[in-house]
Amino acid sequence: MSISSGLIAIFLFFSIDPRIIEITLRSLFVSGSAALIAALWGVPIATIIAMKNFHGKFFIKTIFNSLIGIPTVALGFLLFLAFSRESGPLGFLRLLYTPTAVIIGEAILITPIIVSWAISAIEAVDPEIANLAKTLGASESQASFAVLKEALEGIFLAGIASFNRAIGELGIAQFVGGFIYGQTELLTTGIWIELQLNNIGASIALMMILLTTVFTINLALNTIKRMRGRE
Amino acid sequence: MKAIAVLKNVTRTFTNRTVLDKVNLQILTGEILTLLGPNGSGKTTLLKILASILRPTDGEIYFDGVKVTEQNVERMRMQSTLVFQKTVLFNGTVYDNIAYGLRIRRVPEKEINYKVTQILKLVRLEGFEKRSARKLSGGEQQRVALARALALDIRLLLLDEPTANLDPKNASIVEEVIATVNREHKITIVMATHNMFQAKTLPQRIALMSDGKITEVGTPAEIFGKLSKNLASFAVVGNTFAGTAEITEDGITLVDIGNDVQIAATAQSSGKVSVFISPEDIILSKDRFSSSARNIFKGRITEILDLDSVVRLKVDVGKPFIVQITKRSFNDMELNLNTEVYLAFKASSVQTI
Amino acid sequence: MQTWTKLFIIAVAATVLIIAGSYAYFQSLIGTRLLVSTTTSLYETGLLNATKQAFEVKYPINMAFIAVGTGQAILQAQGGSVDTLLVHSPSQEAQFLAGGDGICRKIIAYNFFTIVGPPSDPAHINGSSVTTALQKIVDYGRNHTTGRIWVSRGDGSGTHTKEKSLWAKANFNYTQISAEPWYANAGQGMSQTLNMANEFEAYTLADTGTYWKLSKDGTVSLIDYITEAKDLLNVYSVMAVNQTKHPSVNFTNAITFIRYLISDEGQELIENYGKDTYGQSLFHSTVQLLKQNSTLQIVRWIKEYAFIKEDNESYECPPQYRDSRYPDLYA
Repeated sequence: MSISSGLIAIFLFFSIDPRIIEITLRSLFVSGSAALIAALWGVPIATIIAMKNFHGKFFIKTIFNSLIGIPTVALGFLLFLAFSRESGPLGFLRLLYTPTAVIIGEAILITPIIVSWAISAIEAVDPEIANLAKTLGASESQASFAVLKEALEGIFLAGIASFNRAIGELGIAQFVGGFIYGQTELLTTGIWIELQLNNIGASIALMMILLTTVFTINLALNTIKRMRGRE
Repeated sequence: MKAIAVLKNVTRTFTNRTVLDKVNLQILTGEILTLLGPNGSGKTTLLKILASILRPTDGEIYFDGVKVTEQNVERMRMQSTLVFQKTVLFNGTVYDNIAYGLRIRRVPEKEINYKVTQILKLVRLEGFEKRSARKLSGGEQQRVALARALALDIRLLLLDEPTANLDPKNASIVEEVIATVNREHKITIVMATHNMFQAKTLPQRIALMSDGKITEVGTPAEIFGKLSKNLASFAVVGNTFAGTAEITEDGITLVDIGNDVQIAATAQSSGKVSVFISPEDIILSKDRFSSSARNIFKGRITEILDLDSVVRLKVDVGKPFIVQITKRSFNDMELNLNTEVYLAFKASSVQTI
Repeated sequence: MQTWTKLFIIAVAATVLIIAGSYAYFQSLIGTRLLVSTTTSLYETGLLNATKQAFEVKYPINMAFIAVGTGQAILQAQGGSVDTLLVHSPSQEAQFLAGGDGICRKIIAYNFFTIVGPPSDPAHINGSSVTTALQKIVDYGRNHTTGRIWVSRGDGSGTHTKEKSLWAKANFNYTQISAEPWYANAGQGMSQTLNMANEFEAYTLADTGTYWKLSKDGTVSLIDYITEAKDLLNVYSVMAVNQTKHPSVNFTNAITFIRYLISDEGQELIENYGKDTYGQSLFHSTVQLLKQNSTLQIVRWIKEYAFIKEDNESYECPPQYRDSRYPDLYA
């Protein structure tokens, strides 16, 4: 890296380059939507797994646990095959190379994280909480919500962790997003494609934004946690 | 008197283990009924069934003459409430905890606000609304749990060992509140305990439980009368011993409880008796010192149970004694398992039955 | 459990809503989209972005590029996932047309590949022919046990295909030499391959466009030793994905794009791109050149190298791969 590309990076980082802003906003939107969808699905699934006793519970938990480590390249490639316009079973949706495809892909990627973490959070809640809620008049579902409320902090952490995983992953964004200029470029694919174009300055600027985003979110979270702990 | 709740042949099994075995019991409107029995006798399970948070495997329960079924169990829950032995609190403020049940009942927030203030006054926790519930001391937490139950204006209050883990100050507040709500608010109370003092003073009726069955029901006088002859099953209750009493020349009763342990008591009795010494009345020291206490025993600490502000110790002096001291003295005295200690208590502290 | 059923319905509804919403939102931003799968070298020089800007001013079509190697671009087209191909690998293009996936091929530009290497020129290839130079590089590699002397794209791109044909021409078995220790497979785009060669002080085959760009801005200090030889000719073509075989493609817009590329305006844009920055053209236009059927050496070279042979005749695009509705493309 030459000094000049470093200077360009710093310049781009602090300037209000519309393209960089666009990529950043798109990334936040895509990963945010993915985290939201994954939470919408994952939290009810986790609640049922955590609160019900059934055969194969351990097995299902193990599956979700191991899916956390799924390589994004493998998932990206599978989704690419699935979304391929003609040969793929989901090709008719015509989602390949759209940000929507990336949202779906990342949502699938992070669902195991949300589910596993949420299960742990719910299981960590005092088992008597559900009974307590019931003694105070709660119905079965109100009691489940009381437990869920106790686990809220853990579930929220799970959401943030998955957002971080989503915004930082490259494989899916590359395979089903395809870093199309002005349409599907994201922070990670932007870093990659700008490097291919030899715009090292822009790559570095995007990387700094990615790191800043992730660090800021984690810092804010830890601060909130610390403040709540002191309360 | 009219029965508020009736249990008919109530049986509950947990994976092949029968915890309640064909229990028949009537709970009369306005009374305080104490379930007295050792751990594992089925007291908690019975309370959970009365609270409609556990369904019996077999048998029937009636509330005001209405049978509890799978269909109406969620509605029946509104009739009673249970305060657990181990305090469980929601994460949040004292206010949120007390408001929970009221919110479930869709009470307007303004009314909730008023009620919370009133009920906190009753349990002597004025101004605690905004405090984080889980950061309170053990005794305060149990009082919040009691307040949370009382706020609901239910007619049947179920209490599982309400003072078992409390220091004397908090225990007496809780006992006072229980007596007050029963007397002034006409709330029917069923309370599980193995504190003999409570069983003797608070309730109108006592139901003796052992091995999932109710063996006797009666007034305290009746029950304690029979109890003395049949104490073997009650040895699990802390500091209760069966023995043979003999009145000595100087007017003191000496009770031989076996293993060379003789307890001096002021009450006049002879023959087979049960004695009970409140754990708070026992003074613990590391050295033998002379005092007016008639009973002094040497023993070793065999168990330590930390209860926030107080520490409960089991001391073996030939017979196991439960002693309760403050956390502060526990630390100052540098007590440990197997530490040699002396127990001292006055003859007047010994209750004989 | 009814509440859970409700919750699930809400979750499904919200998921569908978010996905549909984001899809609608992005579609409204994108409008009519023409997906062009393109070779990295065209993309990396910035020519395509320049073309996109000029093209979108004239037509209400949103051009979207996916920059991949020729191999992957063809794979995408065979799946009907893209509408147009912009590549530079005549042999692969012929196969693609023969498979019925592509139609309406037009040669739109040419330039030369170049063999570049470190300023010290350790294998002394300066002034050699392509074949001799490769021979020297192999000899050097085999006689020096340390380091890499040759970096290959190794990504199935047009440049990679070209490299393989050059090894064959110099009588080397590609499978064999690519496994030898002095040979490095980059598996990356042109810029990164050049960067790698620069780091290793090794030789590589590059398209002139990308090489000049990196050389000009000082990213690499590699020297282009062999240029403008017949064996190093690099010809770029455009093709539409066949609508008969892939009904979902955006065919009309693809034809509009092809027409634009071979129009005088499009050809001028190609010819002039990079002149301001590099002082010389990165790409040369071909349409007029081929139309005039001149006897120039370069025309002969293009015909020999990039035309497709069919019944003893060679064509820019054999008649059966043309669309009778658009005769103007080959007028």
